[in-house]
Amino acid sequence: MKGKILEKNDLALFFEPKSLAVIGSFREASFGGYVVVRTLLNAGFAGKIYPVNPSYKEVLGLKVYPSVKDVPGEVDLVLIIIGCRAVPKVMEECTEKGIKAAIIVSDGFAERNEEGVALQKKISEIARMNKMHIIGPNTAGVANPANGLIPCPYVTGYERIKKGGIAICGQTGMINPQAFPYADVNYGVSKICDFGNKSDVDECDMLEYLENDPATKVITMYLETIRDGRRFLEISKRVTPEKPVLILKSGRTEEGARVSASHTGSLAVDDQIFNAACKQGGIIRLEKFREIFELPKIFALQPLPKGNQLGIISYTGGVGVLATDEAEKYGLSNAKLSSETITKLDAIFPGLGKTIVDIGPGMVVVTDFMSVYPEIMKTVLRDDNIDCLLNVIWIDPSGDLIEGYIKTYKELQKQFQKPIATWIYGPRLPAIDDLALRLEHLGFPVFADFEMGIKALGIAWQYAIRKKGEK
Amino acid sequence: MGKFLIFDKLKEEGRSLLTEFESKELLKQAGIPVVETRLAKNQKEAVLSSQKIGFPVALKIASPDVIHKTDSGGVKLSLNKVGEIKAAYNEIMKAVRKQYPNALIHGVSVQKMVRPGTEVIVGTSKDPQFGPVIMFGLGGIFVELLKDVSFRIIPILQKDAEEMIKEIKGYPLLQGYRGKEPSNIPALVEMILKISHLIEENPQIKELELNPVLAYGDSALAVDARIVLE
Repeated sequence: MKGKILEKNDLALFFEPKSLAVIGSFREASFGGYVVVRTLLNAGFAGKIYPVNPSYKEVLGLKVYPSVKDVPGEVDLVLIIIGCRAVPKVMEECTEKGIKAAIIVSDGFAERNEEGVALQKKISEIARMNKMHIIGPNTAGVANPANGLIPCPYVTGYERIKKGGIAICGQTGMINPQAFPYADVNYGVSKICDFGNKSDVDECDMLEYLENDPATKVITMYLETIRDGRRFLEISKRVTPEKPVLILKSGRTEEGARVSASHTGSLAVDDQIFNAACKQGGIIRLEKFREIFELPKIFALQPLPKGNQLGIISYTGGVGVLATDEAEKYGLSNAKLSSETITKLDAIFPGLGKTIVDIGPGMVVVTDFMSVYPEIMKTVLRDDNIDCLLNVIWIDPSGDLIEGYIKTYKELQKQFQKPIATWIYGPRLPAIDDLALRLEHLGFPVFADFEMGIKALGIAWQYAIRKKGEK
Repeated sequence: MGKFLIFDKLKEEGRSLLTEFESKELLKQAGIPVVETRLAKNQKEAVLSSQKIGFPVALKIASPDVIHKTDSGGVKLSLNKVGEIKAAYNEIMKAVRKQYPNALIHGVSVQKMVRPGTEVIVGTSKDPQFGPVIMFGLGGIFVELLKDVSFRIIPILQKDAEEMIKEIKGYPLLQGYRGKEPSNIPALVEMILKISHLIEENPQIKELELNPVLAYGDSALAVDARIVLE
């Protein structure tokens, strides 16, 4: 790596550093340098860790260096978590050390006041002069579960994040390890990045990096601003035929409306323009914060649908009807079952062979219902008229049915190239959560509610159309 | 598309707003169908132009300083005879001079009265984050009250222009609502694409608005135009 100039689109040093210096306080606390080092150690970070602080000799069994310049080996990445006024001087030392990538966690920059604006300008200048790149300031940092790089400055209470295909980025710490139970829900992540104040690395750089990141299958972002709209559109056009890009953007109000004599000028509010950019760039625009985490799962875990025909298996007709209404919004329509499927289903239980396969009545009267359940699911999925499936599951309070469901889904694995979205309901949270976790572990996404499940299938269908159109 | 000489003229005169006549001339050069319009410097020319174009005609004040032409009494419609032209010319001059005593007046623009069609609007402006953008919508209250418009970032593809038209809620009106003649969608698509191209090639145009454009069964025609340079 020596002598290599980091290209703007090459963020490898931030995500695959062989060595990381942490400049901060190493007093035991729930936030700060100490937490960063401990989290890295717990997550089994694959590179070298160099804590830096003149007031400490040792932390968690690691030698602490008085200055970054005293570190014996090369340093790929530095994480700075000190008072904002001290940052420029430390940055100078980092550049002398030849460091090319810095995550600046410290706050008190452009987000705070005039002094902060000046400080941010100063550190940007130092970085630019030395061809160093910055993520932040005012960021909760990055994560790469594949190499245990979880330099989280806050206590999380868990050690590792599962490797997976979802990249999550945002102008907020709300996506970082301390803000979401990644471990508990067994969420599979490729990269996490909080841009913070976006003094240097921004959404465009990150999109270009993730475009070429083999671990990333789907990209989801929360943005407040877009720094270079035209570059963003150009990159999006290139990335979206390969990987779905989902964006939640704030500023949907007309606040941004500009005074203009023409209709065009006064109607060209930020939100309308961003919508246009999403359409031209093939971006899937999200509406709610929760969708940032929920919707990417369909792309990371399931195949794309080949058509828009939706099958629904449910314990209740009501959900089926509501789900059908929801499906229409995304261009999905209720599949008509083939006569063969109808005959087979009716043989399992009379009246089962309907457009919405309502298993509720049969569940109550058929002895050992779980013995016929796998056949119901397979019969529906085998039908050529069905391109995707919403499966609504009821779980009993004691969770006696869990093993039956798990066995069924295991039999479905890799058998049908059709996406399945699952929603689980029932009277007890522990049983619901247990089943959801185990199904997702098998690669079947479970959604927070059935509307979210339908939306996931809907955007997967819309993405499939776009992908087909581009190829 | 060559360079437009009008840009140099505006620079020399230190103004950024093209008159309606200048805007239409530019659009004509760019291959965009505009209603036949002539500039008349005086009453005599107004009469001659009317006769050449053929009655009925409309007269509109031609001045870079008059922004609200109708409100200031600078527009007279459906004129059928020489006598009416003469009277209309005098009334326009009197009304405008009263409202804008210091306005620079080029004369009047004489334009053919057009047959009724579905009014649409095509405009462009510049977004601070995304640069030049293009808008399409139905004219009148649809754009003013309901804000039923669609946008795209310039440059656009034919597919984008087609989607822009279909996206607005009032699209059924263009398809021929309640026995009304369906509008020629390909003609609108072509106009939107030409405007996108014009803006792409001429970054000095800050804002452009064709309002209204009349959509007919066989064609589309820009009736009024407004162009502002950077």
